Amino acid sequence: MGDAAHSSAAEPFERIQCQWCQSMNEKAALACHACGAPLDIRNLVSESGWREAPRIRDMTEIQFSTSTCQVEGEIVPAAEIHLGAGDSVFFEHHVMLWKEEQVAMSVMSLSGGLKRAFAGMPFIISVASGPGRIAFSRDATGELIVLPLHPGMELDVREHAFLLSSHQVAYSFVRVKGLCNILFGGQGMYMDRFVTTGAPGLVILHGYGNVFERRLAPGESIMVEPGAFLYKDSSVTMDVEFQRLGSGFFGGANMSMARMTGPGRVGIQSMYVHHHTE
Amino acid sequence: MFCVNCGTPVREDQNFCPNCGHPVKHAAEAAAPPPRVPVTQATPAVPPVPHYAPVTHASAAPAPPAPAAPVSGRCNWCGAAVDFSQPSCPQCGAALKLPAALSESGWTQVPARKDMAKLQMGHSHCQIEGLYVPVADFNLAAGDSVYFTHHVLLWKEPQVNVTTMSLKGGWKRMFAGLPLIMTQAEGPGRIAFSKDDPGELIPVPLQAGQSLDVREHMLLAATSNVGYDWFQTGIWFETQQGNDTETHYPVGRYMDRFAASQTPGLVLLHAGGNVFVRTLKPRQTILVKPTALVFKDPTVQMQLHFEHPGALFSMWRPWNNRYLWLRLSGPGRVAVQSVFERIEGESRNMIRWSNATAVRW
Repeated sequence: MGDAAHSSAAEPFERIQCQWCQSMNEKAALACHACGAPLDIRNLVSESGWREAPRIRDMTEIQFSTSTCQVEGEIVPAAEIHLGAGDSVFFEHHVMLWKEEQVAMSVMSLSGGLKRAFAGMPFIISVASGPGRIAFSRDATGELIVLPLHPGMELDVREHAFLLSSHQVAYSFVRVKGLCNILFGGQGMYMDRFVTTGAPGLVILHGYGNVFERRLAPGESIMVEPGAFLYKDSSVTMDVEFQRLGSGFFGGANMSMARMTGPGRVGIQSMYVHHHTE
Repeated sequence: MFCVNCGTPVREDQNFCPNCGHPVKHAAEAAAPPPRVPVTQATPAVPPVPHYAPVTHASAAPAPPAPAAPVSGRCNWCGAAVDFSQPSCPQCGAALKLPAALSESGWTQVPARKDMAKLQMGHSHCQIEGLYVPVADFNLAAGDSVYFTHHVLLWKEPQVNVTTMSLKGGWKRMFAGLPLIMTQAEGPGRIAFSKDDPGELIPVPLQAGQSLDVREHMLLAATSNVGYDWFQTGIWFETQQGNDTETHYPVGRYMDRFAASQTPGLVLLHAGGNVFVRTLKPRQTILVKPTALVFKDPTVQMQLHFEHPGALFSMWRPWNNRYLWLRLSGPGRVAVQSVFERIEGESRNMIRWSNATAVRW
């Protein structure tokens, strides 16, 4: 804060804006402090407008409140959290890789538990509280997507796709609307919803394969394979549509695609075999 | 011979590759490395612990070629005496000029390895190719042999003789789902191995007298002077569902033990995802996911550890509220992989289990 007043006219107050999460960084920084994206590498945007999620360099550190997260490995990255006292993260318990013994564990009570249990969603969201270290990873090759959430943001995430989230973020789940969406949407009945109210927070997702994001203008829409859907801003609507394939009387099959309509961000993953996670 | 840059076959009398123009390294030159000038290298009295060797390439200056002074030191990963003017450690293939990737919490990532890193075992070589699903390509000298489980064989030259190696305890192994026979390949000739998962290839050189405990199905290949044995882990729990009881072995019922008795040997493991290693001090403990364990020194003790989270008592499947860990206590090395299977039976009602500790938060 005081820096701005002190900086002399000769040395302009220079900051780098992270292209991925829009956080402001020190001029000399190599990776964004809030999301870990390399700052010295250009955005990779395809001609069709999909942007590749930044490949986080090995051992990059990310800060949130008094804690740090270190992203280790590049094949199946592990997120290692050094929790400050008073900080906590929540997650589905099967993603824990290792922990120090003193990290306290508790569970978050969720409304609609029975409904969730029947829907096959994790019945319990686990909470790890600092101080101490705990690390998370998933069961397949992919990328860690770090999404810092600013106050007022709402993010919908495919179920089971989130790795962990900091305690400032409120977790709930929304039912996927429409029978078509549920039956043919390639995911379950529910999506995880992350909302920040007061303080900024952090959500880390794991996408299978590579992850691409695009920002839809209001009313703009794009069709995606339902199984590839990873996350969206809650302002983006999702509808499943059928496309009739084949010709003639008997042949042909229906193909379902999800129509995503803006405004907002949409993220997809490139590996979309159905990964069953109990 | 082949061009080291593009793989095109080149004749002995050619000085440049006909395909890419890369200078051809002839056997005589290959023996004497190009002159390099070590820059103010500390005297060997100070044990050099450089993460990288401060070596610059001699420019095209007409200075008389200084004899390549070996910059000796120890490999960060396997501790072998190495010459830091070389790109990779000849024992384990670790890149010598890259800093070790060490996390703040003390896990070291299996070292960065340059693609095509070459390992030397006696008269044989092993080249590790590819970074995503790596292949171990052995060039076996006459009389040298390696053993492996047959499904990891990728290709071989026809003259490489493949035989089977009998293992003791065949029946027990069959019931345990372990490979019944190991396959042995004998030089001279080339043979290559890979597994079908993206992950790391971990070369673990064993000194004479050293041994290593490895979770089952991790072995890619080992040199034949490394003894292979297996033991019961003693880590189990029993679950009940209705009248059915089932015994589960979260780290496997058996574990492989590799031991180099008289001569040093090499064990090549393949683990999913990234691999992290740390050395535990005596009585230091760490909790790891049982299915994430890759290997440990025999001195490291294992036991089950249960954690019951605080804040909520659930009437609905109360045993769901429980985390299952493997508690490792030092001294010794432990390694974990970042890809792991789910623990079978973890969320069922457990009625009995092997020696375990528990914490209720």
